Amino acid sequence: MTPSKTSLSKQRRACKSFRADSAYHATGIAICLFFLAPFVITFLASFRHGTEARLAPLPPWPTNGISIDSYLSLDTFGAGIWQHTINSLLVSVATVVLTVAVSLLAGYGFSRYRFPLKNVLFVLIIATLMIPFQSILTPLFIILAKLGLNNSLLGLTLVYVTLQLPFSIFMMRNAFDAVPKEIEEAARIDGARDLKLLVRVLLPLVLPGVATVAIFAFLNAWNEFLAALILLSSNEKYTLPVLMMAVRAGRLGAVNWGAVQAGVAVMTVPCLIVFLLLQRYYMRGLMAGAVK
Amino acid sequence: MSDTGVVLTDIRKSFGSLEVIHGIDLTIAEGSFVVFVGPSGCGKSTLLRMIAGLEEVTDGEIEIKGRNVTDLDPSDRGIAMVFQSYALYPHMSVRENLAFGLKMAHTDPAEIERRVKAASAILKIDPLLERRPGQLSGGQRQRVAIGRAIVRKPDVFLFDEPLSNLDAELRVSMRIEIARLHRELGNTMIYVTHDQTEAMTLADMIVVLRDGRVEQTGSPREIYENPANTFVAGFIGSPRMNLLNAEWVGDGSIRIGKSRIATRMDDKLMAPGDKLTLGVRPEHMNVVVDDEGTLRAKVDFYEYLGGTQFLYCQLEDGQAVTAEYRSPVPVQAGDILHFRWQADDLRFFDAAGLRLTDVVAGIWLCRV
Repeated sequence: MTPSKTSLSKQRRACKSFRADSAYHATGIAICLFFLAPFVITFLASFRHGTEARLAPLPPWPTNGISIDSYLSLDTFGAGIWQHTINSLLVSVATVVLTVAVSLLAGYGFSRYRFPLKNVLFVLIIATLMIPFQSILTPLFIILAKLGLNNSLLGLTLVYVTLQLPFSIFMMRNAFDAVPKEIEEAARIDGARDLKLLVRVLLPLVLPGVATVAIFAFLNAWNEFLAALILLSSNEKYTLPVLMMAVRAGRLGAVNWGAVQAGVAVMTVPCLIVFLLLQRYYMRGLMAGAVK
Repeated sequence: MSDTGVVLTDIRKSFGSLEVIHGIDLTIAEGSFVVFVGPSGCGKSTLLRMIAGLEEVTDGEIEIKGRNVTDLDPSDRGIAMVFQSYALYPHMSVRENLAFGLKMAHTDPAEIERRVKAASAILKIDPLLERRPGQLSGGQRQRVAIGRAIVRKPDVFLFDEPLSNLDAELRVSMRIEIARLHRELGNTMIYVTHDQTEAMTLADMIVVLRDGRVEQTGSPREIYENPANTFVAGFIGSPRMNLLNAEWVGDGSIRIGKSRIATRMDDKLMAPGDKLTLGVRPEHMNVVVDDEGTLRAKVDFYEYLGGTQFLYCQLEDGQAVTAEYRSPVPVQAGDILHFRWQADDLRFFDAAGLRLTDVVAGIWLCRV
């Protein structure tokens, strides 16, 4: 091949790869914009001026300067935004802690121990995923009332943990199944037993699974509306989604759109933080067990 | 100090109603290198795991250095184990991997550091101490796994097919390293493998297992030269020993197919018509020119290995024989050859596959 031909083909290749790269990045940017737009619109709209905020939400950005009126007016609903945010945080964090603790131990048990009816029990737990939640709301309400846990955040947390467990146990069993048995045996020979074995050797290896379970538990508990609406009855116990319902309903027929946007922003931030913190593990967790 | 490293007494193991180890008695001298060898599913790994304490013993007793350890936890038995899959802790650095067992035992940090240093010097892994297992090659990982065993200063080292995951070249060098380690440390080592080269080269004593029973124990030379039965004869040695169906015809002769071959066996021990199995190693099959009292065989195909050749032949009655052939005269597939052997190189087995030495003890048959 002559030198000119070589440089020509090099040029052509460079041109081709440039085009491919551009197309790749352009598509990426377009998808990014598509996903980011709702967040941007919500956040911008939540900073509109008081009077402007009561108008229809178009255009969504502040036209008369930035103000935190919407956030202040949000605080006038229910028992105040802080109370409801704390309620939501309490319920969500407790749900995460309990779900992770129970599913970690259950997943370990299902993965490593042999006991009678193990598979039947496991299938039974998984099968509960198929029961529509709404259909058991009434029995749940009655049970909680009998236990004296109706209209309490603890009762709501227990309901969330129960709903979250089938998927979480399934997830954690997969995570433990993916850890080679020899590692556990080596640790036993090294003298790690029971809880020490679980915490020092196995937990770091199933961390992706734990992260996945934690994210799901947090998001579901944070966003859940129906159970919270039905099982909680006093104003100061409501979680954020229930508060948002009240905000959205408006007062005397007038909807404060600014407050709605501010509420949405408040609700979005923790979800974003949790997801961004754990996403690295989360992706690995979903794939664990798939490719062994 | 007792000179018995490990004593197994009537060890049995059942999974449900299925018994897989059928009462094994074994005494392993302290400081010896013992290799459990046998085909897949013979129970060699299960036996090792029972010694390690990773598998419960259904019945029987295990003693290590005179101490009954049957019901002790693995970490209290004075053992260390090297796994086939290395089983390193992926989230810890090499240093942490080595130190983990000592930390669990609340060893003094200065002592941990000293032992880690000593072990990494023996295995030449000092430059790797800060790396994670994921950043190491297979050979390096296996070194770390061995290092993790060394720092524990165990009474007994247990190896479960430690070289199976390595490539051929690395396997040879690691094999030599393990032999060197045994010489330097002098601990009792129990090694499970299905690779008979590893068994023959490393062992002071080989334990041949089949279906959860010990078929024979002995030094590599004993096992190779005086196999106790046709199974051991066929299992140890590559290519395997030729085991030919023969019939006693009287007058000290046997018949293999159509060939009648004279032996020096005592006539009183057999009745004409008795079936027996003749065992002869490929390297003892000598090609000769005359056809009187020899075995005629047709060459099916041959393997040229440089220093030697293996001829895979068929006797007239269809039995297969393998012969090692070192003559410079070329051989082609389809050639008819005549084989003869030294009487001393023959091994006889009865119809049940048991060696006939015990029966005919005292006569010329074998050099025992």
